[in-house]
Amino acid sequence: MDLDGLTQQAIAAAEALRVDDAVALGARSADSMIRFANDSVTLVSRVEEAELSVYLAKDRRRAIASTSNLSPSAVKKFVRDLFSSMKGLPQSEYVPLPEKAAKYSPRGAWHDRKLEDLDEELPGLAGAAIDSARTAGGKRSAGVISAGKVDVSILTTTGTRGSDSRTAITLNIRSFGENEASGHGLSCSSTLSGFDPVTAGRRAGEGARGMEQASEPEAGRYEVLLSPTVASNLVESVAGAASAFSVDAGTSYLAEKLGKKVASPSFNLTDHGAVKGGLGGRAFDDEGTSTGTNRIIEGGVLRGYLHNLTTAKKWKSKSTGSAGFVSPHPWNLEVGKGDATYDEMVKEMKRGIVLTSNWYTRFKNYRTGEFSTVPRDGAYLVENGRISKSLKGMRAGDALERLFSSVRLLSKEREWIQWWEVETPTLCPWVLVDGVSITRAYG
Amino acid sequence: MGTQQARDLAEGAVVRARNAGATYAEARVQSTWEREFGLKNGEPQPSFFAEGFGIGVRVIARGALGFAATNDMSPSSVNEVALKAVRLAKASSAVLRHPVVFDSSKAARAKWSAPEQRKIENADSAWLRGVLVEIESRIANGRAGVKLPGRLLYISAELQERYYVNSDGARVVGRVPRVSFGGSLTAVEGGESAQRFIQQGETGGLEVARRIGLAEKVEGEAKVMGKVLKTSAKPPTGVIDVVLGPELSGIAAHESVGHPQEADRVLGREGAQAGESYLKEDSIGTKIGSDEANVSDDPTLLHSNGFVPVDDEGVKARKRFLIKDGVINEFLQDRATAERFGRESNGASRAVSFDREPIIRMSNTFVEPGDYSTAELIREVRHGVLFKTFTEWNIDDKRLNQRYVALEAYLIEQGELRGLVKAPVLEITTPKLWGSVKARSKHMEFEAATCGKGDPMQGAPVWTGGPETLLGGIRLGAR
Repeated sequence: MDLDGLTQQAIAAAEALRVDDAVALGARSADSMIRFANDSVTLVSRVEEAELSVYLAKDRRRAIASTSNLSPSAVKKFVRDLFSSMKGLPQSEYVPLPEKAAKYSPRGAWHDRKLEDLDEELPGLAGAAIDSARTAGGKRSAGVISAGKVDVSILTTTGTRGSDSRTAITLNIRSFGENEASGHGLSCSSTLSGFDPVTAGRRAGEGARGMEQASEPEAGRYEVLLSPTVASNLVESVAGAASAFSVDAGTSYLAEKLGKKVASPSFNLTDHGAVKGGLGGRAFDDEGTSTGTNRIIEGGVLRGYLHNLTTAKKWKSKSTGSAGFVSPHPWNLEVGKGDATYDEMVKEMKRGIVLTSNWYTRFKNYRTGEFSTVPRDGAYLVENGRISKSLKGMRAGDALERLFSSVRLLSKEREWIQWWEVETPTLCPWVLVDGVSITRAYG
Repeated sequence: MGTQQARDLAEGAVVRARNAGATYAEARVQSTWEREFGLKNGEPQPSFFAEGFGIGVRVIARGALGFAATNDMSPSSVNEVALKAVRLAKASSAVLRHPVVFDSSKAARAKWSAPEQRKIENADSAWLRGVLVEIESRIANGRAGVKLPGRLLYISAELQERYYVNSDGARVVGRVPRVSFGGSLTAVEGGESAQRFIQQGETGGLEVARRIGLAEKVEGEAKVMGKVLKTSAKPPTGVIDVVLGPELSGIAAHESVGHPQEADRVLGREGAQAGESYLKEDSIGTKIGSDEANVSDDPTLLHSNGFVPVDDEGVKARKRFLIKDGVINEFLQDRATAERFGRESNGASRAVSFDREPIIRMSNTFVEPGDYSTAELIREVRHGVLFKTFTEWNIDDKRLNQRYVALEAYLIEQGELRGLVKAPVLEITTPKLWGSVKARSKHMEFEAATCGKGDPMQGAPVWTGGPETLLGGIRLGAR
């Protein structure tokens, strides 16, 4: 059954039960993947799935459900079971769906059919990345290329209907050298023509070669130049804190900061429901509200939270098209660009560290934004504007508001980032920050 | 698990893949049923209900692994999935340097289920809500002695069923009911805040919530948060002794022993994601810790969150002694890594859903108990800190450099617990940590956790745990 037929069947079943509101979201995805390690393929896969998600509201009781059992009889039973499950629920915050129906059409321009079934090309693309890394000095490489599409269709009891689709391809490659050295490269694109495994492989290989003589830094506070990869990881936490759900749950350092300064004046953060080049998002959110452009931080000032209908009512605001039925969330993040080049930023540093990749960011307290993260792959000490040596074995710690309030420079070059450590696609520049704490392990 | 028709489809997929040229084939039909309910500051959140059902087929063809999955369970779709997995594997031979070969582990024929007293399917909205309302009644409105303006409570009941078949003769039917709780508490006092993330869970039916004393545990955590905010002092500096409580023993065992001893990481297969390991292929037999360092992983513990008696390669699982008397004793193995190491799989391969490949996973990883009572162990400490619970933690991707920031921690002076200390930081290398173990208590506790690994990510339910573990001669870090 096609997605439109699926949502129609679900809504018909819901209307027969005389619900107050219902939303049906159908999604069909097809993802191809090749993974490799030690320059050798370790797995190739193709996963094709379809899923139906349904939201029901009746007498201020609300329930959400998803199923992958999509036969006509199963869908009808699924909706009935969901309705029955609401009997034991208490009444809760309820906001009706907007009465005005909206219509959405697929964004054909941002859908690359070449990415729909890339099975035949994946080994060649992986080989290109591996060869490039080796040529650049990496001894061996591991990585993954994922490519695929997602089609989404929506229908609500208020008549909102439409569909959208997106495609994306990402490469995450790490190359390894002597003395446990490693380098990292990414290529993330919504089109095959924008995908560049050779450059990503070269970066990984160069990083591995450059780290072979790395040593541990002295603990202390440093200027730190965050690559787009590292900055995106931290920016994703900022956007998470901007979700009104996080604010209400006590897990946001941006609580009580609306209209206040939370970053340096040069820092701007925007979320786009749909944007050219963006790897995620769609034209409508889970409640059928149009997704648009939301300025989260503008000139260093917190302009707004991300809302769905429920949080918007509580905050006497409007939905920002960011639903999640339960929690609002970003779709495609964009950090505003600066006017510096990477070389100019390095020259600006007196005693600092360049970080190209990181992982395992964890928070001591989301309300205060205190966290630490573990740099990995290329990391370099900068002394008086020049890279003097490579570094390893360190940890960076800070609080998000202090860190983004200490942004000194942003690059004019930006990259789309999405990988294992960055779930929300983010267009991000290099970011130079003052006074980040760097620590080492005891022993 | 499903219908006979689904099993027939799985059997047919294996035959189809073999006929298409696979030297090995397996099929796994896996279903998930889940109900979840949440309260945010006492306000009911929309209830959540999910059901998933599909098939994953994995093959070896021309030495390469291919995997394909779908939730379209029509015969033609399943047949196509089987053929697709073979085609993908064959097509990737251009970038294959290390052919995949499975070991000759005995193929299991088993039907297993995690024991449950009250069927998980009876977890309706009223039951789920009742569990959380009881917790809320103990901690809201300052009843735990502290203001908690941020209270996010979730409970879920989940059932996973699988039918597994492979071309080596394995046939496995598995059923895993599980109850899981997740809570985020934010306490404030005098302009300061503290935060605690609580995860509890066991395999079993509705009896789990009472068996683990869930409401009492969460209430206890809330009370401690108030004390931490009101009374904690600066932690000591200099070289001291550190006692890791069971929660800290468990996370250290998981992060710095379990992960680096996953054989796929040792061989580099997770290099681009979760990373590799400081241990190498020839590290078995290496002395890494003191004689008191003993760490195991055991998927056969009844009621445990990581209960998996037969793995997702059709191999009977067993307890794994990872570090024995300070020596690296064995790695976690699946059939492919076991072949590379010249050993037999110890049944560590798991997939969290039908659309994910099975990979090496921990189950229940813990420091083995010692001989001391908790009081006796504390009496051994002249000047030190007990790390009882933690908030922030992380570790580098080779598993050598780890950090744990405590929430509940106590000063120990002359063998006695004194007052709370504020956010002491243990930032330490793996050899230093395990080389500093002087003694262990016999008091064991386990915590539920979700272990992240794989690409796409697979969050696997595990337990981490252990006794109180005494580390001698440690210098604390600082935020």
